[in-house]
Amino acid sequence: MKNVISKVTLLIAALALAALPAASRAQHFVADTIIPERIAVKSTTYGITSINSLDTYLSGYSFSGGGVHIQHESFRDARTGSYRWKYQTIFNGMLGYTTQGNNGEIAGLASYAWGGYHPFSIGKRLKLLAGAQIEVEGGALYVPSNGNNPVSMKLRAAIAASGMAIYHFPAKGKEWTARLQADVPLAGAMFAPEYGQSYYEIFGLGHAGGTVAFTHPFNSPSLRYMLTLDIPLKWRRHSTTLRLSYTGNIFQSDINSIRCHIYRHSFGIGFARTIFKIKQENKIKAYSPF
Amino acid sequence: MIKRLLTYILPLMLTGCIQEDDFSDTPNGNFEALWRVIDERYCFFEQAEEEFGLNWNAVYEKYRPIAEECKSDAQLFDVLGDMLAELRDGHVNLSSIYGTKFYWDWKLNHPINFSDSIQRNYLGKDFRLTNGIKYTTLPDSIGYIYVESFAGGFSTDNLSLMLLNLKNTKGVIIDIRNNGGGMLTSAEKLASAFTDRKIHCGYIQHKTGKGHNEFSRPEKIYLEPSKGAIWLRPAVVLTNRGVYSAANHFVMLMRELPHVTILGDTTGGGSGLPLNSTLPNGWSVRMSACPILNAQGEHTEFGIAPDVKADITAADWQQGRDTMIERAKEEIFAIYDKKADKEAE
Repeated sequence: MKNVISKVTLLIAALALAALPAASRAQHFVADTIIPERIAVKSTTYGITSINSLDTYLSGYSFSGGGVHIQHESFRDARTGSYRWKYQTIFNGMLGYTTQGNNGEIAGLASYAWGGYHPFSIGKRLKLLAGAQIEVEGGALYVPSNGNNPVSMKLRAAIAASGMAIYHFPAKGKEWTARLQADVPLAGAMFAPEYGQSYYEIFGLGHAGGTVAFTHPFNSPSLRYMLTLDIPLKWRRHSTTLRLSYTGNIFQSDINSIRCHIYRHSFGIGFARTIFKIKQENKIKAYSPF
Repeated sequence: MIKRLLTYILPLMLTGCIQEDDFSDTPNGNFEALWRVIDERYCFFEQAEEEFGLNWNAVYEKYRPIAEECKSDAQLFDVLGDMLAELRDGHVNLSSIYGTKFYWDWKLNHPINFSDSIQRNYLGKDFRLTNGIKYTTLPDSIGYIYVESFAGGFSTDNLSLMLLNLKNTKGVIIDIRNNGGGMLTSAEKLASAFTDRKIHCGYIQHKTGKGHNEFSRPEKIYLEPSKGAIWLRPAVVLTNRGVYSAANHFVMLMRELPHVTILGDTTGGGSGLPLNSTLPNGWSVRMSACPILNAQGEHTEFGIAPDVKADITAADWQQGRDTMIERAKEEIFAIYDKKADKEAE
């Protein structure tokens, strides 16, 4: 019996020893193939913006000026699945002051967009993404000198076609990333008073019927395009890059004979940071949803 | 160059531009822009044609060569101001660094029917002042309220306290003579203190396109009861030609109330809610844009006739006596007399 126990012990020990490298390999294999559950690039840029606005509800002539701009973006992989989808959310906020002759105008707009993209890799460095976006925007153009029509309120929601090209390229011993994105609203709705309708009538008397219009590229041909450049920093952690951005925001509408355009060109600077949700960050630091 | 590329050419390439009116900042360009914006947005062409034979195209022909000859901005400002005066509308103004052009004949060609010196004899020293409204109790237990403007933002609480202070009077005189307007919402707030039920008081329209007769269907305007104190005893509203715009609107609302009498002269009118625009040189233009009609669907742009016509007589003027206030008192007493007679029967 004692012999039997000794043999079994030896057998277990031998199996354990035999299994040890395999277990070690298996553990190594698991570590190598850790797939992060959530990985995102989050960026915030601050900058200046040039504004050219026209709203014939306020004036037949455009106002020009500048302002400040903030953009916050989150770009991440799908939570589950095989990483065939990327999600993006973008918040844009702008506050500016423009003039036309002696008349001043305060312009304030904020938008939030949520988009989903399918990536297509072309070679090692170029990635194309195609998808769709849902965007909501609110704000106002305010001309204090206009007595009963000082404000043109901007409220809209739209579904947009969106695409982007992401290009990784080596520079100064690091890998830089450039991206060009374009969003084209295809269908939506916006607040649109009738030609000579006052806000007193809409909000004071409650005659708000018919003040929401269906928008499409023929009555509201609009576009947002964005160019970003992510530059790795020597003195920061690998996952943080300096971001330089240019955003062109072209909003236009011609509804109820009220013509409007708000052209914005924003230049921003900030940081983009890759954020990992799991602890083995050191093992996947080379990974990026870009 | 780069700025121009970014501002205009890039958006044009990518989307197709929606651009501003194509008038240059020249005397001709500003003239054309002003004539056009009035042509497209002004709302009383039909009434002006009926009332005094306005032909806006003829106005263009008359003033274009004059504007063309202008050698300075100041000269152009005068010419454009003269052109706007052809509309005979106090709500049509042109504003620039040279000032604001107004049309005043709607009140200047009529009796003044108001004197603040005479009013002092009634207000005395002990009147109360609440957010621009003066009020007191006159001898014979009549409340007197003077509302000089609707530009101020008096509150419902202000009005409630005022009416509570006048609660022991037989009736109130609401004097709005020379009230040139202000906010429609203020006029409505004051009027709402004189009704205990929702009343249909008028209609509002707006332009739906650039044609002279492109208007929306008239939408009803209601007067809702105030959430504060409500006055249901006799009330007399005093009017003269200086009653304009929001004050004219106040009269339009009050005349629908059964216990209110409008006494004095026809109001100045100004029933079109004015909207603003600008010219290529940055000058600001204001014009009547949204017609407000009375409960019968009639325009009140040229004024509202009183229920009881009264003017300050020359004799009273000399004696420092306000004929209209005296007549208003008589109206209130007459209501009580009629009531007493009915009760006696």
